[in-house]
Amino acid sequence: MEEIKVNDYAVVMKNIVKEFYDVRANDNVNFLVKNGSIHGLLGENGAGKTTLMNVLYGLYHPEEGEIFINGIKQDIHSPTKAISLGIGMVHQHFMLARPFTIVENVMLGRKSRKGILLDTKETAKDLVALAEKYKMKIDPYAKIWQLSVGEQQRVEILTALYQGAEVLILDEPTAVLTPQEVDGLFVTLREMKNDGKSIILITHKLEEIVCIVDEVTVLRDGAMIGNVEVDCNTTKAELTKMMVGRDVLFNFEKSNSAAGEKKLTIKDLKVLNDKNFLALDGFSLDVHAGEIIGLAGVDGNGQKELCEALTGIRTVESGEVKLDTINIENKPPLFSIKKGIAHIPEDRHITGLALGWSLKKNLILKTFKDNSKFGLIDEKKIEDRWEKARVAYQIKANSGDDSARDLSGGNQQKVILARELENNPVILIANQPTRGLDIGATEYVRQKLLDAKGDGAGVLLVSADLEEILQLSDRIAVIYDGKLMGILPGGSDVKKIGELMMGKKLEVEQNAK
Amino acid sequence: MLNKLTKNLNQILLAVGTIILALIVGGVIISFSGNSPLDAYFSMFNGAFGSKQRFMEVLVRMIPLVIMALGTSVAFKANLWNIGGDGQFIMGSIFAVFVTIYSGLPPVIGIPVSILAAMLGGGLWAGLAGWLKVKFNANEVITTLMLNYIAVYFLSFLVYGPMMDPKGSKMPQTEIIPQAFRLPLFESGNRLHMGIFLALIIVIIMIFFWKSTVGFKIGLLGQGEKVTTYAGVSVKKMIVFTMIISGLLAGISGWTEIYGVQYRLLEGITSGYGSMAIVIALMGGLNPIGILISGFFFSALLVGGATMQRMTAIPFSIVDIVQGLIIIFIIARTAVNFKEIKNKIVRRMGHVK
Repeated sequence: MEEIKVNDYAVVMKNIVKEFYDVRANDNVNFLVKNGSIHGLLGENGAGKTTLMNVLYGLYHPEEGEIFINGIKQDIHSPTKAISLGIGMVHQHFMLARPFTIVENVMLGRKSRKGILLDTKETAKDLVALAEKYKMKIDPYAKIWQLSVGEQQRVEILTALYQGAEVLILDEPTAVLTPQEVDGLFVTLREMKNDGKSIILITHKLEEIVCIVDEVTVLRDGAMIGNVEVDCNTTKAELTKMMVGRDVLFNFEKSNSAAGEKKLTIKDLKVLNDKNFLALDGFSLDVHAGEIIGLAGVDGNGQKELCEALTGIRTVESGEVKLDTINIENKPPLFSIKKGIAHIPEDRHITGLALGWSLKKNLILKTFKDNSKFGLIDEKKIEDRWEKARVAYQIKANSGDDSARDLSGGNQQKVILARELENNPVILIANQPTRGLDIGATEYVRQKLLDAKGDGAGVLLVSADLEEILQLSDRIAVIYDGKLMGILPGGSDVKKIGELMMGKKLEVEQNAK
Repeated sequence: MLNKLTKNLNQILLAVGTIILALIVGGVIISFSGNSPLDAYFSMFNGAFGSKQRFMEVLVRMIPLVIMALGTSVAFKANLWNIGGDGQFIMGSIFAVFVTIYSGLPPVIGIPVSILAAMLGGGLWAGLAGWLKVKFNANEVITTLMLNYIAVYFLSFLVYGPMMDPKGSKMPQTEIIPQAFRLPLFESGNRLHMGIFLALIIVIIMIFFWKSTVGFKIGLLGQGEKVTTYAGVSVKKMIVFTMIISGLLAGISGWTEIYGVQYRLLEGITSGYGSMAIVIALMGGLNPIGILISGFFFSALLVGGATMQRMTAIPFSIVDIVQGLIIIFIIARTAVNFKEIKNKIVRRMGHVK
């Protein structure tokens, strides 16, 4: 690498090495961000993006390497130091005190201008001015828990700006937003760029940021693969190849076989969430054999509760769920398992797997009774089961005795797939099946969902990932605030889905036309 | 297979390491008290293994401790912190003695019925804590502990009151159970009784228990309530069931102590077996064989410590100190679990975007 002129850049990270025991998370990475630019940091899960940014933000200390901020070498030993240097970070999981108001959150950890009294009013005024400058709308006195995810993100950005951030790091900012909210975010980011600030966007999904970033740095397995200038016309395939190291199949062959008979009928379902509020408020939907119906929606609009109600995990207040002609609402989970309803839960660590247990035992979580002889678990039988699953699902593990905890997310999901698809389910409920997986595993899981459909299963695919919904679904249903907003044919316009995701009802819109 | 073997070997090495570390630190404390640690440990060892008589006494102590620790391990595996072994031991003993004294059944039927009564007493007492957890979300640590007190005072009430030996000399104890109901001794002049076989049989049963579908469900509960529900197993039923199994073993443990050693109910009958069973269960890695070994070790520590106190100027408290140190090291071992730390980091890296 030729000598870097550190003065030309807002951020220069030179030869950064960060190790965790024997794993090199960052291996001699060079990362440069130009003044007043928007810079994408691209890579698969586990490529070392967040590690690199945590180094920049002072959360990790690199074993080797130098950091220059505005041309001056700095030792960033803590986030406080990073903030004083004008570096702000918006984490993927927001760090907000939920019972507090927006302005109170911004004031947290700051000295008041009025001594021992709080300067709430002054801060609120500043905040509104700052928000207007960057084209954001906020009510400083709204409580965090009342806000949508997009609004919470705005609060995080505002907090960073209020602290005087000149370099703003955003970790996966678009993952949680509807398409319309993403547009809003980009307006704000452009304003900030025009104001001379530098922005770093961490993402593993290029297509969401390609139009806004000026330049992209690609990381793979901890190493820097390349630095590319991009614009709206840059193709996805090229950069993905850099990320993954091989060509990736983007277009699945969707068999357009006609959907079969109606299998699952959900009618006027009302279900409470953990806080005893209505999570599902009269939700209705049908699932047919041999189709994938995608349920799109922003996280937390009742998807989790729906999946749990369908599998008997959560109590149904009213309404009914029918499998063929049998009512299955409020039956114990074992009932729906026996009836052939498979479930890939949203949280594979807590619900989908017994993390401390061996892979073999995880494969028979639901069928341990069938894998026993005289009341004792049949070790030979489950060893065979494991061997079959390992081969069929290409699970990478040393042995079936490894604990599920020791596997990567993708392999953990394969174990769940192997278990859930074992007996050719009638209905497959897949809740965020590819969340947190790398591109290879994502591709694999999606193919398996299509295979399950091909085998005649009715697949209910719940996902916050619109790309996934569009890729796989024969029909697209949209949920908002516990209600069905409408059903669109597969391949519908993203904007239209996005509108429904934000609560616009389909019928209303049609009437207006 | 090899994987499993090294895993077991690791477990044993860790347990031995824990004990050695505890003895070393305990030795430092002994030398602070002005005594020689080597003398102390020698007389302790001698006290436990110096003669056939002493060795048999170690086994006598081991019987109730191992059975109760097996019971404790059942609850612990399900992540239920049953610390009420003492109470379940007492209730089991009360039920059994009550049946033996008042039913008038002949020994052939009376002996099995008294065991069943002990299981019922212990099982009900622990099951009650399980039911309170399911019904009112009451923490089992608190309820089992409180139920201990109730059992202890209930026992006092009985031995001072309605069940006091009518022919006795106003001592707080019940009448003695007839010879025919007692566990036979190995040889006269020695306290070792046939309960040792019962303990070994229960160890073997527990090995198979953990390979059974029932053991599977209990272990699954220990992995988390969400995954248990997801797998189609009722969490509520399993909590109560697991507590009952755990308690009924404590009840059997009480039965062996009454029918093998004491032959009657008396005040203070458990003398802290419950807390020791917890240590034994944890040091044995909740594994039946491990519990058998660590139970043997602790019994030797108890018997040897008592001899040491008689032979030297070193107080028995040193045994408590060693026991306490072992608990601390066990906790430290899990807190500073290097593999876990490594896993955590690797996992974190897995989340690196």
